[in-house]
Amino acid sequence: MTEHENRSPLPFPPSEQALAEPVPEDLRAAQVARLRSAWARPKGWRYWSSVNSSQVGKWYCLTALFFMLCAGVMALIIRLQLAVPENDLISADRFNQLFTMHGSAMMFLFAVPMFEAISLFLLPALLGARDMSFPRLSAFGYWCFLIGGVFVLSSILFDVAPRAGWFMYPPLATQDEGPGSDIWLLGLSFIEIASLAAAVELIVGVLKCRAPGMRVNLMPLYAWYVLVVGGMILFAFPPLIAGDLLFELERSLDWPFFDPTRGGDPMLWQHLFWIFGHPEVYIVFLPSIAITAMVIPTVARRPIVGYSWIVLSAVGVGFLSFGLWVHHMFTTGLPSLSLGFFSAASEAVVIPTGIQLFAFLATLMVGRVTMSLPLLWITGALAVFTLGGLTGVMLAIAPFDFQVHDTYFIVAHLHYTLFGGMIFPVIAGVYYFFPFFRKRMLSPRLGRWAFWLIFSGFNLCFLPMHLTGLLGMPRRVYTYSSGLGWEALNLTSTVGAFVIAAGFAVFVWDLLRPRRNQPDAPRNPWNAGTLEWAHDIPVEDWGVRSIPYVTSRYPLWQQPKLLQRMDQGRYYLPDSDEGARETLVTSVIDAKPVLIQRLTGPSWIPLVAAIFTGGCFIFPTFGLYWPAILCGLLAGGAILIWLWTATARPPRQAEKDAGLGLSLPTYASGPDSVGWWAIWITMLGDATAFSSILFGFFFYWTAQAQFPPPGAAHADGVAVAVAALALIASWALVVLARRTNRLQRVGRARAALITSTLCAGTGALALALAVWPLDPTAHVYPAIVCTIALWIGVHTVLGMVMQLYCLAGSLTGKLTPHHDADLGNVTLFWNFLALSSLAACAVIGIAPRLL
Amino acid sequence: MTQEPHPHSDKHEFRAEALSLWRITFAPATWALHFVLCYALVSLSCIHGTPPVAITRSALILATLAALAVIALLGWRSYRHWAPGRTGRLTHPYGTPEHRHHFLGHAAFLLAIISAIGVVFVALPLLVIGGCQ
Repeated sequence: MTEHENRSPLPFPPSEQALAEPVPEDLRAAQVARLRSAWARPKGWRYWSSVNSSQVGKWYCLTALFFMLCAGVMALIIRLQLAVPENDLISADRFNQLFTMHGSAMMFLFAVPMFEAISLFLLPALLGARDMSFPRLSAFGYWCFLIGGVFVLSSILFDVAPRAGWFMYPPLATQDEGPGSDIWLLGLSFIEIASLAAAVELIVGVLKCRAPGMRVNLMPLYAWYVLVVGGMILFAFPPLIAGDLLFELERSLDWPFFDPTRGGDPMLWQHLFWIFGHPEVYIVFLPSIAITAMVIPTVARRPIVGYSWIVLSAVGVGFLSFGLWVHHMFTTGLPSLSLGFFSAASEAVVIPTGIQLFAFLATLMVGRVTMSLPLLWITGALAVFTLGGLTGVMLAIAPFDFQVHDTYFIVAHLHYTLFGGMIFPVIAGVYYFFPFFRKRMLSPRLGRWAFWLIFSGFNLCFLPMHLTGLLGMPRRVYTYSSGLGWEALNLTSTVGAFVIAAGFAVFVWDLLRPRRNQPDAPRNPWNAGTLEWAHDIPVEDWGVRSIPYVTSRYPLWQQPKLLQRMDQGRYYLPDSDEGARETLVTSVIDAKPVLIQRLTGPSWIPLVAAIFTGGCFIFPTFGLYWPAILCGLLAGGAILIWLWTATARPPRQAEKDAGLGLSLPTYASGPDSVGWWAIWITMLGDATAFSSILFGFFFYWTAQAQFPPPGAAHADGVAVAVAALALIASWALVVLARRTNRLQRVGRARAALITSTLCAGTGALALALAVWPLDPTAHVYPAIVCTIALWIGVHTVLGMVMQLYCLAGSLTGKLTPHHDADLGNVTLFWNFLALSSLAACAVIGIAPRLL
Repeated sequence: MTQEPHPHSDKHEFRAEALSLWRITFAPATWALHFVLCYALVSLSCIHGTPPVAITRSALILATLAALAVIALLGWRSYRHWAPGRTGRLTHPYGTPEHRHHFLGHAAFLLAIISAIGVVFVALPLLVIGGCQ
């Protein structure tokens, strides 16, 4: 602290004079060589230990594309089966597996991961960063996604795939025999955790890794969308993870959360699923609109019209989309007043959604539009999405929904929104960004073929479905009898589906065909204004040659000397003097440089950790609990080794030259460090999951005449009180340890850490004893009480590991009074844990006696 | 706002401006609170019968007025923050503290408007639907 405070003000922003100063030729060559070797991608089989976002982003995109094609093939089989009445191509059971997997794979293995993949690829370049702050976390997320995705998807090859629909409604899914439902629950939970990891990476990237000078009002719109979508993931996925936990506890341990005969309620699952499921639609839609927001200014050759309006609509949609979930449950018999609220909110969300489309149209109107392939796909997207939006407005009216619920009208609607809102804009993005990804162009001729095939095939397939639905054909039937007037419509849809497939074949061929003889693309083929087009051709792995000082929204248009200066290394971090990967961390609002962040390099540890994490989720599917626990421990061990060896190590120099006369610290703790932000964001998601479980408790209370049931055994009051006190004491001691450590009283800090671990252990033990006599299989009340206790217990054990980690750090010199980032992060974790422990103890100890 | 960054500039900015980054979410958060309140109270009334639905309706209409008042206040403050009348600027594309400041005001103001519309929409069923049927 004190060492910084005496320092003179930093030379920021850089003066024009400093920027104009040339870098000597030989120095520049030496810098290039050093940077290149620091960022070199590993050769041979070691290539798979890469962690930088351009490699991981590429794998991620291709894997998501592969999963999409698999899900597409499933759709084709579904359409073949439905082509003619009374078809017996596949069995009813196989059909159920196919539509369940088609929906689940498209949502969980394609739509959401594709957003993460593209963002991982693009975001560092858009923000002018070398890389995101947690490269190994991205790699870990990718490997989790790959393992989980292959596991879930391959179940269909063994005829054991989930078959209760992509929303897994109980009691159908809870009582389904075979491992299908478990594969869905555990496999997808695993992938959801990877999504949360990506959300953390992306949010921290947008907040802390922007190029110096890129204030919040200059951020590319894509970054705003990433921020909003990242935030939505944090509040939307945890309810589903909590729901998955309850569901899996019911399936493997018979805790009756959704079993009405023992006080459970299947509606709770529907609520938790759709609190996730509806925002999910916008999680998929907003990033694709973000791509549109990048393409439109380029093709219109002018800055976007209504930047603030688009930010408004992104943030507004992000909020409103959480008030829509019950419109998937209009026919479940809720009070009409409640339906009214959700109907109204569903109509309201149209307003911000419409605003962004109008802002795009306005930009096109006032710009000088050049017709290009990306724009062709964007116009297709706008047309298709608008149609889907209009049927959405119809469906938001509850009485209309009563009529068409569970018919093909819904299938038509959702495909119009998802194709128009996601597939078309993403393909537009692929055409637009391909020269950035691959340094080559895609073929305009094949692109037009693909567009017209997909566009006409899409409308041929899904437009008739509106009518099929209105004529009464229900969803999810594997066949239908003739004479109902559905034959011609279904056959048309099947033909359309194969036209779409032909279009995708053209597109994928163009995407993946060998390109050895093709010339390099021009550096900025579309004449765009944003920073990603400052990329290097031929490819360099360092992200940017030097990190620019940004003063405008379209730096390549509005800062004429910027590109040349970036290339010549006249901006920040033009060198890698220690041969390590580094990037600049800047402040949240005004992007002032605060820190030189050391980034982690290639490593196998993310892969190892992902394999064991995978084992921990996959073994329970087959009832193999001991191997799962072993894998869990090994995964924990791998993660500890990863953290210990590569994060928050005291640096060799306290400060380093960042270029342009700016000297910056190389270590930070607390809110200046990226790790602190990551914990903050993770814990926000964690707290949301915990709140969802508490919501379950109160849901049972509102939905049942008597909850807790009369005469039910409660958690032991004294033990709950002891647990609350012990956990609060543990938290207070962690806070004390951080204070004393900062004041150089290292001995006291260590003593506080040891005592805090003991207190935490006491707390966890007391909580376990408090619920020990309860029988969670008897009724939902003891089951939910035990789940709350279990949640806090597991978090407390995690908290104890963190306390001991800090203690070990302190004893070995990793954690010193000046270098206390770990302790800062652990304190933050305990702040959250202390609050949730108090809430938990109040709910299981006090609430049942009052209700 | 000075031009020189401070080594701990996050904390500095947070004092000066962090409130307005949060402020852009205040109005939608008010909408969310109002929404949850409507949904929770109506569920209680309709399933448990306490409080009676007539009373819930009146209470929620009052809550709607309160939510609108809060949003109006937030909107007014962000309008002053944005200050289009004083600066004569409707867009804020430059990398200066003033532009960043007015931009955040503008975004917050627009979000206040959309939140107010959302609150009115959600309150409409309270006026037109009688009870739990």
